[in-house]
Amino acid sequence: MAKRYEIVTRGGALSTQPPLAVVYLDGSFSKPASSPKKQIAQKDYAFLPALLPVQVGTRVEFPNLDDTYHSIFSYSPAKRFDLGRYRPEERPIPFEVFDVAGLVTLRCDIHEHMRGLILVLNTPYFVITDANGRFRLRGLPSGHYMLKAWIDSKTTREKPLDLKSGETAHVDFQ
Amino acid sequence: MSAATTPNKRTVTGFRTKLLAAMMLVISAITALGLYLAQRDVTANANRALQQDFQTQLSSLHELQELRHAALAERCRALAEKPRIHAALEDNALDLLYPSAKDELRDLMERGEPRSGQAASTLHAGFYRFLDGDGAVLPPPNSKDVGGLSKAAEAQLALNKLPEKQEVGYIWQDDSAGETVNEVTAVPILSTETGDVISALIVGFKPFEPVTKNAASGIKSGIWVGGRLYLPSLSKPAKTILTTKLARLLANGDRAENSSTVRINGARHLLFFKRLNPESLFRSAYEICVYPLDNWVAQLHRLRLKIGGAGALLLLGAFVVSHFAAARLSRPVEQLEIESEQERAERERAEAALASTADELERSARYSADASHQLKSPLTVLRAGLETLLAREDFKPEVYEELSGLLHQTHRLTGMIDDLLLLSRMDAGHLQIASEPVNLSELLEEWLDDLEALPDAPEVTIEKDIAANLAVAGEKQYTSLIVQNLLENARKYNRTGGRIRILARRENKHVLLAIGNTGRSIERNAQRHIFERFRSVGDGSVSGHGLGLNLARELARLHGGDLRLIRSENDWTEFEARFRVMEPKANRVAGTK
Repeated sequence: MAKRYEIVTRGGALSTQPPLAVVYLDGSFSKPASSPKKQIAQKDYAFLPALLPVQVGTRVEFPNLDDTYHSIFSYSPAKRFDLGRYRPEERPIPFEVFDVAGLVTLRCDIHEHMRGLILVLNTPYFVITDANGRFRLRGLPSGHYMLKAWIDSKTTREKPLDLKSGETAHVDFQ
Repeated sequence: MSAATTPNKRTVTGFRTKLLAAMMLVISAITALGLYLAQRDVTANANRALQQDFQTQLSSLHELQELRHAALAERCRALAEKPRIHAALEDNALDLLYPSAKDELRDLMERGEPRSGQAASTLHAGFYRFLDGDGAVLPPPNSKDVGGLSKAAEAQLALNKLPEKQEVGYIWQDDSAGETVNEVTAVPILSTETGDVISALIVGFKPFEPVTKNAASGIKSGIWVGGRLYLPSLSKPAKTILTTKLARLLANGDRAENSSTVRINGARHLLFFKRLNPESLFRSAYEICVYPLDNWVAQLHRLRLKIGGAGALLLLGAFVVSHFAAARLSRPVEQLEIESEQERAERERAEAALASTADELERSARYSADASHQLKSPLTVLRAGLETLLAREDFKPEVYEELSGLLHQTHRLTGMIDDLLLLSRMDAGHLQIASEPVNLSELLEEWLDDLEALPDAPEVTIEKDIAANLAVAGEKQYTSLIVQNLLENARKYNRTGGRIRILARRENKHVLLAIGNTGRSIERNAQRHIFERFRSVGDGSVSGHGLGLNLARELARLHGGDLRLIRSENDWTEFEARFRVMEPKANRVAGTK
């Protein structure tokens, strides 16, 4: 997670640069008992990480690591929120719980170039590919599923997948 | 003479009238031209002044537009950069667009007390709306914040597509307060990321205000948009007339600018119109200006009166001046006319006299010719008879003498008739003299030989000094006659033992022939008459019919020369004939050899 990516628009679709994909096992899974907690920081006038996949119900905190105000908000249908202006020392750290699956675009009202993406998923089984597009998902339940790859805000690929206990499946979205 | 003066007077009066008319015509033409030019000048001035006024109005309108455009462009650029506006447009949250923009556009919409300064009020917006990606109006959640608009008015804001640049349009709004026209400006909102036009902000400014800076002049201005005319100060019927006129003028395509005249309530008006939003996505709108031409017409009328009055005065003055001028100018002409009339009468008289003289001459010449011819035939018969008688041998010697004398007389008569015939031909102008080179020297020698051969030649000595080859111009036959005449006279009127001297030489362009003889000189009083017809030189002792010298002189003159008596005294009478020199065509002769 140390490597930084930025969000860019290509042909009206938001994606990371360099491109990363989120691969996830689609299906209906029960919500976790307790809300998972994740963080997207604002550091050096950028969201870190720029792309964050989360399971529905996850609470994401937005710590401000810059020495200035930030004002995080989203108009995305999946989650509209507005944290207002706050400084790094703001406590508790402002957060939002993401209850609806979908893509949420994060913006800063003060720094218009800042973009961040939160991909809210119904599944707990997801992973971000590496820069070469490779991924590995472990501990998946057996059964018949659809494996999906989110590539950008307008592109999601999918492949049907039969999972059997103790086996490793190989899926290539190319 | 009194018969001639009446038509004279009429002619002169006619001339005077014509001169007067011509002068008046010229002055009238100049006056008319002056009137025409002045009127054209006034009309052109009026047109130019009004056109200028219209352009000034338009330019002030355009200045306002530009001010608004600049302010709005800046505002929209700032607006498009706002993350919330972006978020609303790009994240499919159009419902949040108006609330997000509300704060940004609050000052634009700020009502309250108008701040001092024109700029504040001109930039004051009455309403604003956003367009979605297709150019349709995004319905505002709360029209109170964005400025109220009727549904019909709002519908006029929609465009076929999003504008690439700022567009100006005009929309009608009918509400309880009446009808107004609002100027709207559409400003594209560009995505800060892609640079694409993602939306447009349409700002409506306060209603269009017709310019009424000069109410007294009656100038009215308004706006034409969507087939309707907004010109509140105009009465309803006038508006109907103007609407019809404008609809017709603008029907033929999109005319950018023009002017025309229109009659409103019987008064002529100048109508200007110019498109306010060329190439706009909004409907075509035209600035309309109506100028009453009454003032101008009145001014023109006054000017016309002035020029007309001046012209009339000028005409009157001109008439008087022309009258006198014509009278004065025609006086010499009048004099000329009278003089010429007298001259004409004289000329006619002279011509008539000349004609009758010529007739007489012709008649007498013809008479002489006829008479000569008539005389010749009996004379021939007479001579033939006498010769026959002379041939007989049975008469007495004194009868032969008598017959010989009679025959001599018939010869004289024949010569006289020949001379008369020649003279009459000359008098009638029927004698044509050829102009050929005649060798006078040879001619003289021939005649001298002949003279010596004559049987009754008296004892005279002949002295001669004749240059060789003297060529004179003429016809040999007649030149010969002259020479013969002179030589015969010299011999005839000589005395016994006398002499004849013949000198012939060239002098410049003439050849002079002097023939002198001894013998009784001619009486001084008679000398003047010797060249007249039937005046014989001698005293009657020698034969002579008195035609020879006359004929010789006439012939000499016909040849371009002359014949005169040089002197006649002391036993010496000398004549001099003058001939024109003609160079013999030596070259041609040489050529033929």
